[in-house]
Amino acid sequence: MFSTALFVFVSAISDGSHKQIIRSSVEIYPGYMEITNAAFEDDPSFENLIFDVQKAKESLQGIDGVQASSVRFETYALYATSEKSVGGMFCGIEPENEAKISRLKASLVAGEYLNSDDTNALYLGEELAKRLHVKVGDTLSFISTAADYSFAADNLIIKGLFKTKLYEFDNSSAFVNKAYFDTVMKSQNIATHIILSPKDIEQIDATTLLVQQVLSKELEVKNYKETMEDLILAMEVDSVFGYITLGIFFIVIFFVIAIFAFLSVYARIRQIGILRAIGTTPRGVMSMILVEAMILGTISVGIGGAVSAYGAYYFEKNPIELSSMGDLDMEEYMTQYNMVAEITFPTDFNPSNILIQMFIMLLLNIVTVIYPIIMMNRFTPTEAIRYV
Amino acid sequence: MKTIGLIVLFSIELLAFSANDIIKEVEHNIQSDSGYSKVTMVVATSRGERSMKMESFNRGNEKSFIKILYPKQDSGITFLKIDTTMWQYVPKIEKTIKIPSSMMMQSWMGSDFTNDDMAKESSIVDDYNSAISSEDEKNYILTLIPKEDAPVVWGKIIMTIQKEHFIPLNAVYYDEDGVEKRTLKYSDVKVIGSRHFPSVMTLLPSDKKSNKTVVTMDEMDFDAVIDDSRFTMSALKRYSR
Repeated sequence: MFSTALFVFVSAISDGSHKQIIRSSVEIYPGYMEITNAAFEDDPSFENLIFDVQKAKESLQGIDGVQASSVRFETYALYATSEKSVGGMFCGIEPENEAKISRLKASLVAGEYLNSDDTNALYLGEELAKRLHVKVGDTLSFISTAADYSFAADNLIIKGLFKTKLYEFDNSSAFVNKAYFDTVMKSQNIATHIILSPKDIEQIDATTLLVQQVLSKELEVKNYKETMEDLILAMEVDSVFGYITLGIFFIVIFFVIAIFAFLSVYARIRQIGILRAIGTTPRGVMSMILVEAMILGTISVGIGGAVSAYGAYYFEKNPIELSSMGDLDMEEYMTQYNMVAEITFPTDFNPSNILIQMFIMLLLNIVTVIYPIIMMNRFTPTEAIRYV
Repeated sequence: MKTIGLIVLFSIELLAFSANDIIKEVEHNIQSDSGYSKVTMVVATSRGERSMKMESFNRGNEKSFIKILYPKQDSGITFLKIDTTMWQYVPKIEKTIKIPSSMMMQSWMGSDFTNDDMAKESSIVDDYNSAISSEDEKNYILTLIPKEDAPVVWGKIIMTIQKEHFIPLNAVYYDEDGVEKRTLKYSDVKVIGSRHFPSVMTLLPSDKKSNKTVVTMDEMDFDAVIDDSRFTMSALKRYSR
């Protein structure tokens, strides 16, 4: 019972935390699917942009699996106040559409988010604002290279500050309304990315394929499994190590159960001898003990599974919060390693996974009685009755 | 007879140039202690061509001042470089901005040159160990490897220099991994006083075959009289007009 509860709950925590980290990493800013120029990944220069955004967006209209889309133009700029200048990402976004495909709007911590009428309004990462010693309402200048390679510069008023769970992102990023960006950066109908949000994440590979089919040859679409391949791999490796740890744990548990099963079956050897003496066949003995093991196993696995399933369900709705572990500030710790500073860990309540795990435990329970039964059936009824 | 032989050998030794001597001769041809130039820069990419005109003042390698004259939208933008630090004044936003070290490898005015190229106080003699890797009747081929603590970004430079007047013909730049990154070609040599000066420089990035930046020196004065005030922060705004 205890083993089942532990197995199910630990698996739920592991799966839940991995899903949470991936979901946060994807949804904070990168997005589930991105369209870029096919050469952009190898050479992210102005030679390899999406040069007809309107056409690309029109071609997406018939695809049912795409829930929302938003256009971005990402480049670098030098931000300057009268005292300091700092380089960082300068990005034009469609404010309303962006809010549907990322958590940028939800990450607002001061001032206001952008809207589609904004001109010189800047939505700035909180950490970058700290580096530049600016706050909401202050003026900040930028200089950059426009999409036509001409010189671009303007003064911007800080409209809002955001803080996501990605420290480096907050420390280096700023956004303006794409309509304004296009005028100052000469980028009308040009973009670096079109970010898509799928209707059903489980169907993302099929949707990606459909999108690629409607795009022109110079464009390509990738989903988060490719764009965040390293993170996915890291989570998979972590899962594998988690399962190896659980596997070792279960080998120990299995032998403990096996010893108890062996002792409990052998304690009944005289009873079995009598049953054999009055005509019960070895097969009958085996069936009887297996049925007993199955009944007891089902009860214990059922209770353990039910308790842990409730735990998994409860902590999915009310995630475990690990703001600190002893003296260690978790958010600060994760920030140091440039990880998503995620301090809430929901479990993953997945009924089919829980049932499979319970079935494995039940099977283990039954397997442990097979060896004692085989050993016991080697005794003759007389030997069994006289066994001390 | 033995004495004559020794004299001949000694004379040959005197006539042979070391790599450092060659570099110094090249630097004499292309650098000045107090110089003024008017320059046209044409930036070509697969998406078209863009040209700029600017004037430049320099005091040795340490100080330089550049003002953009054309196109109109960019005219009045000024740059000041003192040692390895660079500032920019942008009239549109009325602000003087110091280019931070993190931005030094970014493109300068959309060209294939970087801010680092413009700000570099580089003297090849000071920053690189040079060696003649080969030579023929007409040219020297020099290999330049950066000195241990030299503040340079390249892992190796291979220069071809014309023997007769020590005119640089081209320089191929490699990164620290030995990958070729760009080639700078020199052409249209003009004789100004004792100098043989290549008045056109063409920068060809190795990874973008369709790109090139051509710099043409329209005017060049190697002994210009330049006021010290040209190389001050206040000059950025004052001379912007």
